[in-house]
Amino acid sequence: MFGRRHREPVPELNTSSTADISFMLLIFFLVTSSMETDKGIMRQIPPMPDEKQQPMDIKKEHVMTVKLDAHDQLSLDGTLLTPKQLTEQLIQRIEQDRTEHVVSIETHRATTYEAYFKTQNAVVRAYASLRNQRARQLCGKPYAKCSPDEREDIDHYYPQRISEALPKEEGGQP
Amino acid sequence: MRAMKSKFMRTSRSMPGLNLASMPDLIFTVLFFFMLVTHMRDDNLKVHYEVPAGTEVQKMEQKTAVINLYISPEGLQIDNQLIAPSGIVPYINEVRKGLSVENQDRLIVSIKADKKTPMGVIGDVKQELQKAYALKVNYSGTEESPSSTNVN
Repeated sequence: MFGRRHREPVPELNTSSTADISFMLLIFFLVTSSMETDKGIMRQIPPMPDEKQQPMDIKKEHVMTVKLDAHDQLSLDGTLLTPKQLTEQLIQRIEQDRTEHVVSIETHRATTYEAYFKTQNAVVRAYASLRNQRARQLCGKPYAKCSPDEREDIDHYYPQRISEALPKEEGGQP
Repeated sequence: MRAMKSKFMRTSRSMPGLNLASMPDLIFTVLFFFMLVTHMRDDNLKVHYEVPAGTEVQKMEQKTAVINLYISPEGLQIDNQLIAPSGIVPYINEVRKGLSVENQDRLIVSIKADKKTPMGVIGDVKQELQKAYALKVNYSGTEESPSSTNVN
């Protein structure tokens, strides 16, 4: 029995080149792929305005007008401020007027994208801060750690009400 | 018997070889790691852009059904081709045709715009996106730690 096994050995598959093949695959993937992940601020833009649609009536006292002029100067209801101050102001005012408020962002055609992005960032930050605060009260955790249901509740409690107008031609020299 | 003899002879003459049997497995592990954490670089950039930085940026989880739209003062590039603003709607419709029904609703347009792009251009692009009914957009940006937020 023992002897017979040695007399007829099964030839072994030569696998020494598997390493080379997988090395080649590895190098191919290293070259053709990139590590970077896409990061950014997610936004939903409104659908095309329907001609039959009635413009919504929003009372003036609920509207916070965030304006960026041609020189990238940021103002909230006419007073100049920095993005950081904007976040603080928005937090205060959204808290007072949770469900009815509207943040209206107005830009000029010559405003740079960076200023716009910073403004969006400041607005999102205000909402994130309020929602975090609510999440701590509600479930004792930061917003990101809450369950989807809890998050939905919080989103409902602090809805994002942002309105964006198309960049304007007039008002301020470019 | 002969096999035994020759095996014995070889070991006595030379150093035993390093066992490389597990080498392919090791390299395969590294390969799988890279396949998982990276994604294909599919766009040849024809425009130059530098995205702005923000504190509230989030990682985009979705990897499929994403259209990359590069905006720089020189021009527009969508996925892999330069395009005029009027070409956005046909292109998106074309892409949408090739997607499954559930992905059609999840389609995201990732806007990678240069910092210095005037908002007029962005506004025009957004209007085209509205026409194409591609309403989910991602303003691409790099992450910035909250402490280093420069005022203004």
